[in-house]
Order: sequence, then C-alpha cells, then structure tokens
Amino acid sequence: MPRYPPTVHAPVAFRQQLVGVIPRLRRYARSLVSDPGAADDLVQVALERALTHWHQFDQRRDILVWMVSIAHNAHVDERRRSARMSLVEPDDPDAPPHDHLDRRGGVPGADVGLRIDLVAALQRLPVEQREALLLVGVEQFSYAECAEALAIPIGTVMSRVSRGRAALRELLDGRVPATDSTSGAPALRRVI
Amino acid sequence: MDIDDTTLNAWFDGELAGEQAAAVEAHLRENPDLGARVRLWRADRDALRAQVDTVLLEAVPDRLTQTVWQAPARRRVGFLAAGFALFVLGGATGAALLAGLEALRPTVQAEGGEWLQRAAVAHAVYVPEKRHPVEVSIEQNQDGHLARWLTKRLDVPVKLFDLQPQGFDLVGGRLLPDARGPSAQLMYQNEAGQRVTVYLRKPDTGPADPASAAFRYERQGELGLFYWVEGQGAAATGYALVGTLPREQLLALAEAIYRQGGGGAAAAK
Repeated sequence: MPRYPPTVHAPVAFRQQLVGVIPRLRRYARSLVSDPGAADDLVQVALERALTHWHQFDQRRDILVWMVSIAHNAHVDERRRSARMSLVEPDDPDAPPHDHLDRRGGVPGADVGLRIDLVAALQRLPVEQREALLLVGVEQFSYAECAEALAIPIGTVMSRVSRGRAALRELLDGRVPATDSTSGAPALRRVI
Repeated sequence: MDIDDTTLNAWFDGELAGEQAAAVEAHLRENPDLGARVRLWRADRDALRAQVDTVLLEAVPDRLTQTVWQAPARRRVGFLAAGFALFVLGGATGAALLAGLEALRPTVQAEGGEWLQRAAVAHAVYVPEKRHPVEVSIEQNQDGHLARWLTKRLDVPVKLFDLQPQGFDLVGGRLLPDARGPSAQLMYQNEAGQRVTVYLRKPDTGPADPASAAFRYERQGELGLFYWVEGQGAAATGYALVGTLPREQLLALAEAIYRQGGGGAAAAK
C-alpha cells in the first residue's frame, strides 16, 4: 500500500483528467443504476475514491477504464449494503422496471416504444450482464478493457456479453429469458 | 464449420480479426437467419447508445465538479530553496530562465519526491545552454566513460538510453550536486533542436512501494514530466523525463527508457 503522507494531494493535471471523464462516467452510471440521483451519487463516490488513490493511477492506462473499475467496486459495496439492510433488492427480476432515462432523447424519428422497452429490458438483466453489455456496447470497451475494469477473466466477459445480449433480445421479443444470473469466476483482484 | 454464440458476439464486438473474422463472415453468408439476428443486435445497440448518449449532453452537476476541485491544494515547499540554488549557479541564462521558473511555481509539487522538483529545475537550468549543456558530451564518451562515471557517483546503474528510434540523439550527461546525494542528468536532442532531459537518482522516499512503479505525469506550465521508480529497496532508481513535448510524444520516450531501464521486472504494470 502507498506510503504517501496524508498531506499529499492529487495534482492539478490529474484533477483535470477526472473532470474530463465525468460525462462518460455519468452516462455509464445512469444506465447501470437508472435512478439519476443514485447514479450521480455513485459517480461522486468514485471521484472521491480516485482522489484518495490518485497515485495508484498509471498514466499509461485509460482513465475511463480505471474510473469504471472504481465505480464498479463502489456499486458492489452499495448493493451489499442495501442487501444487508434488506430495504430493496435492486436486481430483483420481478421488481417493476424503473426507467428514469430521458425518454424524449435519442434519434429523432426512431421508434419511441422500442427505446423505452430497451432501457426497461436492460434494467431487468442481471447486473453482471448489464455491466458487460454497457461497457462493450455503449462505452465501446474492448473485451480486455472490460475484463480489466470489472476484474474478471476475458472468458467471463465473453459469456456475459453473449448471454446478456441474448436475454435482452428475448425480453424485447416478449419472452422471459432463462434466469441465469451466475456471475462467473470470482474477482481476480480489487484495486480500490 | 460451426460458429458458436460467443464467437459470433466477439465478431460483432470487433474482437476478431483476420481468418477468424473471415470464417464468421463466411458463416453469416451461408446462414441468413444468423444475419438477421446480428442486424437485431445492431439495432438494439444503436438504439441503446442513442438513448443513453443524452446524458452526455446534460450539464455536469456542480457537486461533482466541486468534488474534484475541493480537496486541498498541494503544498509548495522547497521552492525558495531551489530559487536560491539557481542564483548560486550564476544566473548565466538570466531573466528568461527565471521567467520560466516563475511559470513553474504555482504547480511545482512536493509529493513526487523533492527530486521531481529538482528534475524540473535542472531541466530549466541546462536545456537553454548553448555552449555547455552537458558536462561530458557524447563525443567524449569513447569507452563508456560517462555511464561508468555516473553509475559510480550515483550508486545506481546509469544506462545511456537509445532514443534514436524516437528521433532523439544523446547530447551527453552531467552530475548534479544535491543536498541528499548526487543525481544525474542525461540530455537528448532531436533534429529540430528540441531537448528533453532524463533525471535520475536514488529516490528519497525510501524503498519503492508497489504503487510507485506506476508512471505518473505532471504538467507544469510548458514542461511535461513523466516520472517513475524502478527496482526495490537499495536498488531503487527514480526517473524523471522532462520536456516541452506533447504528452503522447513524451510518453513514447518515457516508455522507451522504461523498456531499456533494466529494473523493469520490479515495476509490474
């Protein structure tokens, strides 16, 4: 673990990098968590952790991949806390789908009904599949970057993407996908 | 041949190349039903992107930007001492140099180890020199004298890195006096006359911790610095590459140095 004294703070250049990555991090958090306030809370926690651990960031890496890995861990922590408190089960497939994304957005002229169903369907996927699908499909991460961000083997990324995409299609076709929320291999390592 | 779901997905996500991709594409031509499936995937993906992209257009909430900037600013220790040393050095390059250092001041940091700050100052002092940029020039280095001499004085292995693939030739090197022990500076120059310096010494933060193996980057006014520590314990060496080049170009040089550094085994990514 780092031995930097607590008085050492993140350099300005690093903070500028963080500010630059906020919009994309918000997009990811919003599609992962769906409630806008909760999504921004997640982004805030990730930023705070990044500032505390700034010296662990290797400038050869992509800062978005690093920030997503931090957000992923924060989200796991958050879900564990919620589960312990037994308040809500965020990934209960029987829970009513909540769609807080802006329904008016998107491509003009595209089928509005399709878009609403799509986000609602996405929220019904097991969180592991949703994460992989969002990172690969929306953030355009390579499988290797996705594996790095989620701390899982590439083979696990492949199967989550494949199963997630198939399940999403089944939901959109009005079928109920086989409930298979196996999260694959355990995490390799956890950075923050 | 049979193409399973995972392979088809990997192809769809651009993970396959060459023969593998060609095999999937051939398979798709022979199986129109699979082609229809892929078109649905594409429609789903594009619709999803179109919808979530609206978040990018929103104003970032103030609380998030504030989170980034609110944490305390960095200390500015040791700068006066560096300025004083500069006067002692003789002020050969005068006002221009001081103006350059003035630009460094608000952001020169203490946390990279004070050695990072010294690397920036040494760069600013010697790079503008026309007649004596280095103490031992490459012409005087017939028998590997420069590397041997610096290695002996620094007590860390000093290599003369080959940056010619990146367009930089070694000008030479010098030994630098330092309150905490000597350090060395190697200077490189490209055809356009741009100079970068490599500053190296024993790190003064004690044994290297795993996190310090990471490359770190600082921009201080016009100067960019990549710095890192190689090796462990007594064999640890701190490196700083300093120059006014764009970050990407500087990174390419830093990586070339890192690859030639020898201590790379301890600096796992």
